[in-house]
Amino acid sequence: MNAIEAQNLGKAYRRQNLGGTPTLLGSFSRAERRRAEEQFWALRGVTFKAGRGVTIGVIGPNGSGKSSMLGLVAGTITPTEGTVRTEGRISSLLELGAGFHHDLSGRDNVYMNAAILGIPREDVRRRYDAIVDFAGLREFMDMPVKHYSSGMYVRLAFSVAIEMNPDILLIDEVLAVGDVAFQMKCLDRVRDFQKRGKTILLVSHALETVEQFCDEVLLIHDGRLIQQGNPADVIFAYLKSYMVRIGMLNVEEHGTREVEIRQVCLRDATGRETNTLVTGQPMTIEIRYHAQRRIEKPVFGFNIKTGNGFYVFGSNTQIQKIPIEAIDGSGIMHLVIDPLSLMAGRFFLSLSIHSWDHTVQYHRQEDLHPFIVKTGTDAMGVFHLNSAWRLEPGS
Amino acid sequence: MNPVHALIPYRDLLANLVGRDLKSRYKGSVMGFSWTILNPLFMAAIYIVFLRVLAGRNTVIAMEDIIIGVFAWQFTTQSVNASLHAFTGNPNLVKKVFFPRIILPTSVVLSALVNFLLTLLVQVPLVAAFLWYKGTLVSGWTLAIPAIVLYQTIFNLELALVVSAANVYYRDTAYLVGLVMSAWFFMSPVMYPLELVTSMSHGMPWLKDLYLLNPMALIITAYRALQVPGESLPMTPVALVGWLWPLLAGVVVLRVFNRAQRYFADVL
Repeated sequence: MNAIEAQNLGKAYRRQNLGGTPTLLGSFSRAERRRAEEQFWALRGVTFKAGRGVTIGVIGPNGSGKSSMLGLVAGTITPTEGTVRTEGRISSLLELGAGFHHDLSGRDNVYMNAAILGIPREDVRRRYDAIVDFAGLREFMDMPVKHYSSGMYVRLAFSVAIEMNPDILLIDEVLAVGDVAFQMKCLDRVRDFQKRGKTILLVSHALETVEQFCDEVLLIHDGRLIQQGNPADVIFAYLKSYMVRIGMLNVEEHGTREVEIRQVCLRDATGRETNTLVTGQPMTIEIRYHAQRRIEKPVFGFNIKTGNGFYVFGSNTQIQKIPIEAIDGSGIMHLVIDPLSLMAGRFFLSLSIHSWDHTVQYHRQEDLHPFIVKTGTDAMGVFHLNSAWRLEPGS
Repeated sequence: MNPVHALIPYRDLLANLVGRDLKSRYKGSVMGFSWTILNPLFMAAIYIVFLRVLAGRNTVIAMEDIIIGVFAWQFTTQSVNASLHAFTGNPNLVKKVFFPRIILPTSVVLSALVNFLLTLLVQVPLVAAFLWYKGTLVSGWTLAIPAIVLYQTIFNLELALVVSAANVYYRDTAYLVGLVMSAWFFMSPVMYPLELVTSMSHGMPWLKDLYLLNPMALIITAYRALQVPGESLPMTPVALVGWLWPLLAGVVVLRVFNRAQRYFADVL
């Protein structure tokens, strides 16, 4: 028995609804009525199933229809065509703090929000202390929430929301709240839901989270279900084609193209082409180039940045004193990073080929190659530092 | 599913919404509850003075009738005005969380009901005092007021459903509602007694019949008839129709609302 079954699901919005507020007087005008007939499909022809206890990730660029899909499953949006059938109680972590009332205290809002989420009052009363402690806001509970910082606001909302005990949980981009420590607590809670056999539909731009948590991933673009399957494959396809093609990445390519980077592929320890690498294991980058003419002493360079632009590492063949006499025609440059000491996250690889004196840039690909890193351990941070402990008792 | 049954698991939500509304209303101002009382009292005082100036001592309406009329009328206007923003004021809630949509306008009407019941605690003794001053006692039928309150609550709920849903689709509904409410105020016996219409419609009995189809005319007159000895409620077949049609219309209103609410999230 499946927890969620969507069959040819589609949602159309009328243009009128998108372009400003309709008015009673306006509805008498002909132009307005014609505008109302134009349709825009936010989602169309989506068919998928989610078995019980399965976590499904939904990824895609902004405005691709991910949120509409969650809305349809949650029942807040009525489908224009197709059907969605769900089994069991649904709760959604869609909008944190929806229904918070600014003048009321944190305590009142806990009860209010719990009621909105369908958590029985008795449960909230019993779990009240746990909720407050989870949010870490004990001394602020009698203060009106309008005086809260935005971080406090979402922390309280999240703490209430995770008290839900639904059969199906919908999560829309809310795991990225609060500081790192709070995020870890949140992810722990999601893992807890999984252990208890809940079905989860997770929308997120944090691809490493999707990779880490989901059993299956749906890629949605322009309202269409492009691909579904195991996380590594779908994320790979997404990173490889979509993010670059639609200009989601701030990519840049320039150079004289006297030497051209024709193709780049990333390979994991087993030699499989992938965009998902694992901390501590080797990462191989294959650069297929083509030189129009003989180029003396070219320099191959690379750098890696994190998803938010932090420059992690950069080097080139000149710095590493790898002598290259000359290149002509096609060839492959292998770059091996072993072990990959990056921790879980999203990264961008830039590549360049330039002249030995830096006067000519033959081909530079800035942030053109995204990849994600998975980490097997619970250690945190950007880098994996090889650390060893030694206890010397009684000395 | 039966819409009333669907509400049962959401009792907590309804109670919380009503509580939130009342709390924020009474927390915000120092005077708190006093404003709820003072507002209709001042309105009543203004009408009384105005009518005295205009019509002299022999006005057609007694002070207690104006007070009863203004308090009852306020219950309906408060419900209608607050329900305008039941959905448009909570777009996040409607778009992101699933719950029976009827809960929002219902909570608005229930919180207006709580307010009205509180004001009745002042209105009934006040009317009794006026009557005592005139040498009569307040009618024992006063105890039957809850029946009319229940009827008016159902009627207000229907209005709230229509107005709240209309405002989602057409944001200028508020202007129309403002106009209709002012016209309706004069077409209902708030500042004048029902007898005024009776005496005006001499030779034109259809005018009075038409007038009695206005549920507010019956509701306000019923409050007066229950409290003031000697005042009576028209017991004609037309009046019966006037009492019954809002209840029958309720079925249609629920249907229309249920259809309309499906696309709220699209428009908000």
